[in-house]
Amino acid sequence: MMNVWGNMAQYEAIAWSWEIAVYLFLAGLSSGSTIIGLLVKWNRHERNTYSIWDAMIKSGAITAPVSIFLGLMLLIFDLGKPFSFYWLFLSYNFNSVMTLGVLFLLIYTPTVIVFMVLVFEQTFVKYRAYILIEWLIDYIKSFHHYSKIIEYFLFATALCIGAYTGFLLCAIYAIPMWNSPILPILFLTSGVSSGIAVNILIGLLFFKSTMSEESVKYLLVLDLRVILTEIPLIGILFIGMGYEGGDSLVALKDALSTGLWAFIFWFGVIGVGLLLPLLTVIIALKSHVYRVGYIWMNSIVVILGVIMLRYYIVYAGQIYTGQ
Amino acid sequence: MIKKYRMIYDENLCIGCQSCSIACRVENNVSDSFFRLQVRMETRGIFPSLSMQFSRHACVMCENAPCVSVCPTHASFQTKDGLTHIDERLCISCKYCIVACPYEARFINPHTKAVEKCTFCFENRVSKEILPACVSICPTEALSFGDLNDKNSTVSQKSHKNYFTFPKEHLRTFPKVTLIPHKKGIKS
Ligand code: SF4
Ligand code: SF4
Repeated sequence: MMNVWGNMAQYEAIAWSWEIAVYLFLAGLSSGSTIIGLLVKWNRHERNTYSIWDAMIKSGAITAPVSIFLGLMLLIFDLGKPFSFYWLFLSYNFNSVMTLGVLFLLIYTPTVIVFMVLVFEQTFVKYRAYILIEWLIDYIKSFHHYSKIIEYFLFATALCIGAYTGFLLCAIYAIPMWNSPILPILFLTSGVSSGIAVNILIGLLFFKSTMSEESVKYLLVLDLRVILTEIPLIGILFIGMGYEGGDSLVALKDALSTGLWAFIFWFGVIGVGLLLPLLTVIIALKSHVYRVGYIWMNSIVVILGVIMLRYYIVYAGQIYTGQ
Repeated sequence: MIKKYRMIYDENLCIGCQSCSIACRVENNVSDSFFRLQVRMETRGIFPSLSMQFSRHACVMCENAPCVSVCPTHASFQTKDGLTHIDERLCISCKYCIVACPYEARFINPHTKAVEKCTFCFENRVSKEILPACVSICPTEALSFGDLNDKNSTVSQKSHKNYFTFPKEHLRTFPKVTLIPHKKGIKS
């Protein structure tokens, strides 16, 4: 719009757009699928007789590195100066959540890649190129007495990755919807939820032979609990904004009632992403039969819901600041 | 000696003539359709009891600057005089500071791709003891600029005589730009 004082485009532009929303989703997914892979490994493994690695662990070991890699690519190409990203490694500001994120990613990314290589060692052995990494694998395997410690370490870094994406936004007090301590917890939980869904899907697609009905059931029950946690967390986020008053209250009202983003929230995040999976999980668990159809449907709606939650928080947060 | 810079914008004296905005463009070579500074106006009240409200939008040079604390590479930094500046070379253009600034003061320069904002004309003028372009051109003296540590400066004098507000004071960013709010109100 043109005014006496000039063009307003620069003030209306959305600084962080879809790349950031998708990155937040992918980082959460990576962290969630690692967490889920490890939980299955710790809690379900003894009972699994099919293979040394349950399908859920395999899917986690694939999903985690692939999604964090894609996410990082997106993040770098979203920079206005993508080829200057190396400054992130040369000049640190420890007050900045982005710097902390870079440090977590520097630890987390190689660790999940190692995890993947170990889980898929049998597959890799078949290829010629394995010779190239054999020494590395042998070296890593020489630490196998510490495997439990490494797993705990991986679990802890995965938690950091999941939570940091929330802190990244939470540090911004100019934006009422982001400036809430609930956000890191919410992102972590919904990341776990997407981890469950994607692990199950990848398992169904590629590792059916090692898929155990038991661990799927275990995950579905877990998913039910995660979703039941997520709903009040979203509630608390908005209640907090309401009690904050002032700009926050205005932002809250606008974000929940106007335009496309309110629709995406009510229909996408709440309806498709939370209520529908709740319904299917309850039906699937109640009927006591392992119905692949339900599980497919459940996983897909959960993933859609988690993506829409990230989009909603990123966009509606920036658009509705209560001013 | 460390300076304590202060810019005062008197909403009562502003007539919305846009001279400051144009002076800023010329002085700092601001790219077309981007702004380091805007003076917006709004008509309030119901005819015939109307009043004009002017508001100045630019970096307010926060003492406690969110743009500086979020910047991952120290491209946004604060000098010992408390001014915030951008080192274009270090800026990776992640836009974190743009979302963090509560005053919508920052944008990406379309040519350098680095972040840009008002500098108080520090390099080109203030460091040479010349007033910022916007201040020196204002025909009604709605803008004044100077050092609060200097007891004889206009800003020190004005600071004693007027009632001030700080933009978005509740955020505790401690801006160096202060406002003398519009006093006339609307006759009803
Ligand atoms: S107004 Fe914005 S750009 Fe200027 S110092 Fe404050 S936060 Fe930084
Ligand atoms: S856009 Fe540039 S100045 Fe702003 S936070 Fe990122 S690196 Fe720092």
